[in-house]
Amino acid sequence: MKRKYEIGFMINPEASEEDVKKVIDAVVGTIQKTEGIIENIDEWGRRKLAYPIQKHTEGIYIFINTEMVGSTFFEVERRLKLSEKVMRFVILRLDDKFKKANKLTKRWKRLEKLSRKSQENRDESSSRAESGKSRPGAPTDREVDDEE
Amino acid sequence: MRNNHNNPSSSGGGGNPPKYPKKFYFSRRKYCVFCKDKIKFVDYKNYKTLDNFVLETGKILPGRVTGTCPYHQKQLSKAIKRARHMAFLKFVEPKRG
Repeated sequence: MKRKYEIGFMINPEASEEDVKKVIDAVVGTIQKTEGIIENIDEWGRRKLAYPIQKHTEGIYIFINTEMVGSTFFEVERRLKLSEKVMRFVILRLDDKFKKANKLTKRWKRLEKLSRKSQENRDESSSRAESGKSRPGAPTDREVDDEE
Repeated sequence: MRNNHNNPSSSGGGGNPPKYPKKFYFSRRKYCVFCKDKIKFVDYKNYKTLDNFVLETGKILPGRVTGTCPYHQKQLSKAIKRARHMAFLKFVEPKRG
């Protein structure tokens, strides 16, 4: 059973462009061996890090969206762990996260209906209520005088 | 005329502080930012939005402060932790000075 995954990893800034290609090809190759589909490869390029990692202040970011079998997950993970150029990586399963949101989308629809109804009511009532507006009583100093 | 005019002010200053009706403060109601934009899944990659839900020291702000709903707060905290791992955001560090 194929599922959607997102693989993101950060490569050492000292690596040359060939090295970066090698790492990408290694990941793509393992996925394609087990008949996985690669949807897109997103290369962010060099970016400053929030904190130094292995005494480097920059990193090369690459994100790959794929559709692959669950067992290839572990192979990809093993590859990324073993390669010395990769400093950090995150692999996420995406498809199940959108399933949970079904409840939310139903709630949003309900809220939209309610807001529309309340707006209609407001438009009707505002025309009536404009004449009959009453302000709450202004604060009075008289009460203080009574105490003495 | 002067005495009459001064009397109420002097009586107010001398005794108990004047009693005004209770003041009501109207603050704008908090709402979930993610629900408003209808975001189903909080992504760790757009670190610029995540940065709004983190203190200067790097601590995650609670949902009752920012107004995010529990569904999104759960995802948000996970997304921030992932962003820290990938060095988009910094880890919690002590205050300086």
